[in-house]
Amino acid sequence: MQQRFLDPSVLASISNLELVAKTVVDGFVAGLHRSPDFGFSQEFAEYRMYSQGDDLRHVDWNVFARTERCYLKRYRGETNTLVTVLLDASNSMAYTSHTVTKLNYARFIASSLLYLANHQRDATGVVVFDDEVRNIVRPSSRQGQLARLTHAIEHAEPGKRTDFQKPFVLCQELLKRRGIIIVISDFWADPALVVKTMQPLRYHGNELVLVHILDPQELRPELREPRILLDMETDDSLEVSPEYVATDYRQKIDAHVEALRSEARGSGIDYFLARTDRPLDECLREYLMVRQGRM
Amino acid sequence: MGFLAPWFLAGLAAIGLPLWVHLLRRHKSEPLPFSSLMFFEKRTQSSIKHRRLQHLLLLAARLAMIILLALAFASPYIMKKVTAGGGEAALRIIAIDDSFSMRAGNRMERAKAEARALLNNWRPAQQGQVIALSRQVRLLTQPTNSAEELRAAIDSLTPGDGRSSYGEFARALRATAESLKKPIEVHLISDMQKSSRPPSFADLRLDANTTLTIHDVGSATPNWTVESVNAPRRFSDPKRVRIFATAAAFAAPAATKQITVACNGKTVATKSVNIPANGRASAEFLGVEAPHGLNRCEARIDGADALPQDDAHLFSLERSDPRRILFVHEGRSQRDLLYYRSAIESSSESNFAIEPVAADAASNAGLDKFAFVVLSDVAQLSASLEENLRKYVRNGGSLLIALGPSAAARSTVPVLGLKINSSAYASRAGERFQLLGAGDDTHAALRNTNRWENVKFYQTIRVDAPEARIVARLADQSPVLLEQRSGEGRVLVFTSTFDNIANDFPLHPSFIPFVEQTARYLSGYEDTTAGYTVASTFELRREGAQAEAVEVLGPDGARALTLQEAARAKTLTLDNPGYYEVRRGSGRNELVAVNIDRRESDLEPLPKESVELWQGRRPDADVQSAAAGRPFEEQKPENLWWWFVLALAVVALAESVLASRYLGMRT
Repeated sequence: MQQRFLDPSVLASISNLELVAKTVVDGFVAGLHRSPDFGFSQEFAEYRMYSQGDDLRHVDWNVFARTERCYLKRYRGETNTLVTVLLDASNSMAYTSHTVTKLNYARFIASSLLYLANHQRDATGVVVFDDEVRNIVRPSSRQGQLARLTHAIEHAEPGKRTDFQKPFVLCQELLKRRGIIIVISDFWADPALVVKTMQPLRYHGNELVLVHILDPQELRPELREPRILLDMETDDSLEVSPEYVATDYRQKIDAHVEALRSEARGSGIDYFLARTDRPLDECLREYLMVRQGRM
Repeated sequence: MGFLAPWFLAGLAAIGLPLWVHLLRRHKSEPLPFSSLMFFEKRTQSSIKHRRLQHLLLLAARLAMIILLALAFASPYIMKKVTAGGGEAALRIIAIDDSFSMRAGNRMERAKAEARALLNNWRPAQQGQVIALSRQVRLLTQPTNSAEELRAAIDSLTPGDGRSSYGEFARALRATAESLKKPIEVHLISDMQKSSRPPSFADLRLDANTTLTIHDVGSATPNWTVESVNAPRRFSDPKRVRIFATAAAFAAPAATKQITVACNGKTVATKSVNIPANGRASAEFLGVEAPHGLNRCEARIDGADALPQDDAHLFSLERSDPRRILFVHEGRSQRDLLYYRSAIESSSESNFAIEPVAADAASNAGLDKFAFVVLSDVAQLSASLEENLRKYVRNGGSLLIALGPSAAARSTVPVLGLKINSSAYASRAGERFQLLGAGDDTHAALRNTNRWENVKFYQTIRVDAPEARIVARLADQSPVLLEQRSGEGRVLVFTSTFDNIANDFPLHPSFIPFVEQTARYLSGYEDTTAGYTVASTFELRREGAQAEAVEVLGPDGARALTLQEAARAKTLTLDNPGYYEVRRGSGRNELVAVNIDRRESDLEPLPKESVELWQGRRPDADVQSAAAGRPFEEQKPENLWWWFVLALAVVALAESVLASRYLGMRT
């Protein structure tokens, strides 16, 4: 029953993006998103044997009284991280071969992730870009932030061509604190260049996640006859044959996806591919598995 | 294999259309938006590869459709050997001409002998039929295997009085071939008169399955006849009767012949005429003494030829007191009466007497005894007279109204009530006079009047008559003579006068035939045709006329109509030559003379070439074997267009299936 509602084409019919995010996230397992640090919260984590140099303030004296051994009581820490979504709103994101455009699918993912983070009182922000930064909502955990975020995402319209260079330089200046940066794009660029552009952010201590949005027709296009294809970003046109599409193109797009994945992994950047014909919750689940509970 | 309409093969040029659709049009596809061409490479497709024939089956089906369509229209045929003329399946029709011309000499006996000869060597399986050919084709037997039945039908034949028509015969054969759908072997036994041939030889065409063999039993035989008689049907003064008889010679040398006119069996006059070879000559007889009533007359030529039955030409003469015409006029001037009376009396064939009366004295006139009434430029009519005139017209009476200066004072035309608009003077319109512009020459009033040539109209009355039949108009398009029906009667309105003042019509020669013919037309004498031939129809009662019993006695003195027909029949077919006596309920009797169609008197046969052409050109051997009733083989074209249409339907079905399969799933 849940799956039916998470069908992208069904979600596309919901005009309120916040409601979309809530629909997606509320059906999800809560608690996977946990801080790996221990701290001073009231939530018990574990006991550990005392070792020399440990702070005596953490010794559980009740246990010592019963067992005459020193144990340290440890609590789960509560962190407030920054979650920033960089949303690609270039013209190529308007492509679709069915009912949901790539941009719409990216909107769903972005709003769902931000809803999830906001739910955990993390500071959340969004940057909409194509070859320029089109809109920025600075990370914050203030009340009403979610509404600002969804408004910004909702009004992201397909613009011009993609250029990662300029927006990421700006992001470096904006994001002084460490946090998680989720880049949602179709990444029609050289994988090495993409990763190279993002590396400074990574070096700054941020965790980067690349969400690669692709339409099924972009992965496995089908042509029955020679057609003239028109580039949605550059307006270039090219006549292609069905044979090329069925063989060479598939190899190239597969190689591109694989190159982006390996380049990202090599630089400590998480990557996962989101096909626009897949249910949204399935996609989120994969994302969280990629994150391995680190978020 | 050949084509009956090879010019339709030009349609094969249309195969370029599917080729264009499949080869060239595909090249012009709409650009398909794609997110990025990053991984596409420009690959120049070779033109052959580009124009590769996709959907080869669909293309083949479309090409086949066009080719089949063009071939079907071109009517392909193959020559096929068929057995004709006596084959087992062929129906043998023996057609014997029994028209009037077969009375000449021993033609009918020869025809019967020919027919009987065809019945010799009759195979048991052979089907035959005997038909008679005169004014219409009559089936004497149904198709039968019995030679005896056919022989009896042949023996019963006698020459008739009708006229043969080969066009009608060919039409009947075409209809028979169409209904039977099997070969027909026709033997026509006739004197092959040239006059029986239709005007167009195309009317003689026969079905492809019909073979015709002609047995000619005639020959060019000299014959003289009285071709026509021109005599008045009614007269009152015997001294003024003038009869023209025209004698004709067919295939005959020049000769001097006697023409005798007889009435009621009593010879009235005899004249000698010199008839040139193959020519005509006329004799005029003046003053025929005949008693009152209906007289059976004839003009007879001393023919002494092979066809004595056509020597006499029958006609009827009715002697009666003149019929009276009531001439209502103003009384001040007698000019109109003078001219009208002169015209009536100067006509040799008129049988009318004028009874003039002033308009103010005509109130109590009994109208029923008059043939018709003339209202000549009458200003005032008493209400009772006008009402009587209306009743008189509604019950079948006729009226001639002349409108002049006096009538212009009225607002409406008397009796009819048509609005009088104005009195038009030619001089005021810048013209000295008006001439006749357009006229309906089929109307009795304008027949033989030379369209009122040079008649000058100075004054006319403009009448508003939307429902009237306009018989004649002046050059300015205003009506000068119009006719309107009222009830069973008819009213003629002449928008000028007869007094030689408003026009000069009475001074022209055309005035006399105009007055005479309008008088005959209005009195009802005009309707009867002078000459009737056998098989023509006689009108017993007019359309819409009141039902009255009509009794007809035929030439043999017997009643020609049953009681039911006498009460209801509109027409009577005159089957036999002689006198038909028509007795009507109103007391008006008529004597109708019916003659043989004079084209039957011309015994000149068809040229040999025409006979051969009608039979169809084929080797003499075949003709001989056909004449002997033996089967023979001949090549006949068999049209294959139907098979091509069938194949076209199948291919069209396949094309629609393939098209929906290929194009319906197109992404």
